Amino acid sequence: MTAGALDAEVLVIGSGAGGAPTAAVLAEAGFDVLVLEEGPMVRQGDVVPFSLEQMDRQYRSGGVTAALGFPAIAYTEGCCAGGGTEVNSGLYRRPPENVLARWRRDHGLVDFDFDDLYAICDEIELELSVQTVPGELTAASDALRRGADRLGWANDEIPRWMIYPHGASATDGRRRSMTETYLPRATAAGGRLMTGYRVDRLVLDGRRATRALGRDPDGRAITVDFAHVVVCGGAIQTPALLQRSGLRRHVGTTLAVHPTVKLAARFAEEINVADDVAVHQVSEFAPDLSFGGSASGPGLAALALSDSWSRFGPAIEDWRRLTVYYAAISSEGRGTVRAVRGLRDPLVTYRLTRRDRAMLGRGLARLALLTLEAGATEVYPSYRGAPVVRRRADLATLQGTFALARASVMTVHLCSTVPIGEGPTAPTDSHGLVRGTSNVRVNDASLLPDAPGVNPQGSVMALAVRNARHFVDTIKRAS
Amino acid sequence: MPTFPPHGLIAEFSDKVVAHDLPELPPERRAEVVAFIGRRVAGLPSPMRIGVGVVSVVVGGAGRLVGTSRLVRGVTGRPLPGVGDYVRLVRSLSYAYVWDAWPDTAATGRPLGRQS
Repeated sequence: MTAGALDAEVLVIGSGAGGAPTAAVLAEAGFDVLVLEEGPMVRQGDVVPFSLEQMDRQYRSGGVTAALGFPAIAYTEGCCAGGGTEVNSGLYRRPPENVLARWRRDHGLVDFDFDDLYAICDEIELELSVQTVPGELTAASDALRRGADRLGWANDEIPRWMIYPHGASATDGRRRSMTETYLPRATAAGGRLMTGYRVDRLVLDGRRATRALGRDPDGRAITVDFAHVVVCGGAIQTPALLQRSGLRRHVGTTLAVHPTVKLAARFAEEINVADDVAVHQVSEFAPDLSFGGSASGPGLAALALSDSWSRFGPAIEDWRRLTVYYAAISSEGRGTVRAVRGLRDPLVTYRLTRRDRAMLGRGLARLALLTLEAGATEVYPSYRGAPVVRRRADLATLQGTFALARASVMTVHLCSTVPIGEGPTAPTDSHGLVRGTSNVRVNDASLLPDAPGVNPQGSVMALAVRNARHFVDTIKRAS
Repeated sequence: MPTFPPHGLIAEFSDKVVAHDLPELPPERRAEVVAFIGRRVAGLPSPMRIGVGVVSVVVGGAGRLVGTSRLVRGVTGRPLPGVGDYVRLVRSLSYAYVWDAWPDTAATGRPLGRQS
């Protein structure tokens, strides 16, 4: 039985970094836009950032999700109005020009002008108030900077999409996430946002999708009739939805991530900021390898120590002097997302290459060196059997005992499961139109041809705005 | 009626893992942690939930044979495929919960003085 029958000219599925700008551009161009978001609306300030409560309310599956493999890679997905932009660190990087050049060259992208994309970046940065933090860096950020400077390694502060009250400190910012920016723009222009609505699949009539089938917040069946649909569920949910709808060709076979390994570093002074992250990043070895700060609240610090708890555990009693850092790599590996008949959620896998494994081990050792140079008194790498690193001489033990199978590997950057391109294996065209369809588009992190080696959300938003504008032009030209 | 994943087996195993790792955690806190683990496992993505369910049945069966406490002592330090991931999941959830809810807790689970 169907509880609700909805309709819209354009259905946008998902409200994160892809869906929200898409909805705003289309609504402001005069389209009748309906945004369906599976997660709830949670206003900023209602939950403590990086807390378990936030994971309960704003992450898919409470933040406990993993790509299976050897080892499994833990990942997180936002599941709320605004998607990942509500829960991440708000760190922003433009897509690097060499990355754009690689995408255009290797994937035959058309109408892919760098100046146009960077002009869109200008707009996004203005809309989101992208800026560096005011006043002094947090102690955890400053430690990264100090360690890198002592080693002569390139480092800089990553700007964030934040606004700060006059005279505020580095931790007083308020995120300019999608619920504060593009979603209000979409609704102000007449778009509708409905939260708690899940879309299970699209119904196709030949090349044309005509209806979405899903569930309302009470689990009752709904239908949505539309003229056009833009799928923006993120790099895991978007390919799963397309596959459940029968659109399987080259979809979900090229998952790309930035795998990371972590360590906890203990300092003589109090350094822990429970509800924020370090904003400095070390780019000396980029794009292959980069270092930065992770959320380090006491629960997450305990997690970072958990692989060798019998030896590392006592450090948690001094958690105010602990902070967590990561080493992230550009991976050569690839993963898959597969919808499985009868299961609500897709099966996600990822395979690291031999080079990836070596790079992660090397990265962890360099990160440990960096934190020692920054003044850490003890360093606790996150893998089973790791030594406590107190001096440079201990790094040899670290490298000798590191095995990725014993490490906690995770990622927060997922992309490239439905990449744009003009080659025979590209599931969408250069603007995200799904091949074999006339009105199904994708406009989120799935579209990135590969992992950009920097925080990807700036790239996702720039592509989303570009593609949404192309959609407007295409439809208006045809009518 | 039996459930899948088997909540009872997972709760029993989680309780023993937490008791093994954090022996001085007060019983009422341990119960809260075990309930949290149960909620998180129930909310896992379907493929992970099935995997955890299968492993929990195998581990539960082994626990019936040798005793759950003894089994936990045996498996917590060993990198057994599947079982090792199960232990790591339970351990990760429990540590994250304990120090998120009660930050000033000793590594043994004993509440420290800074908390009221």
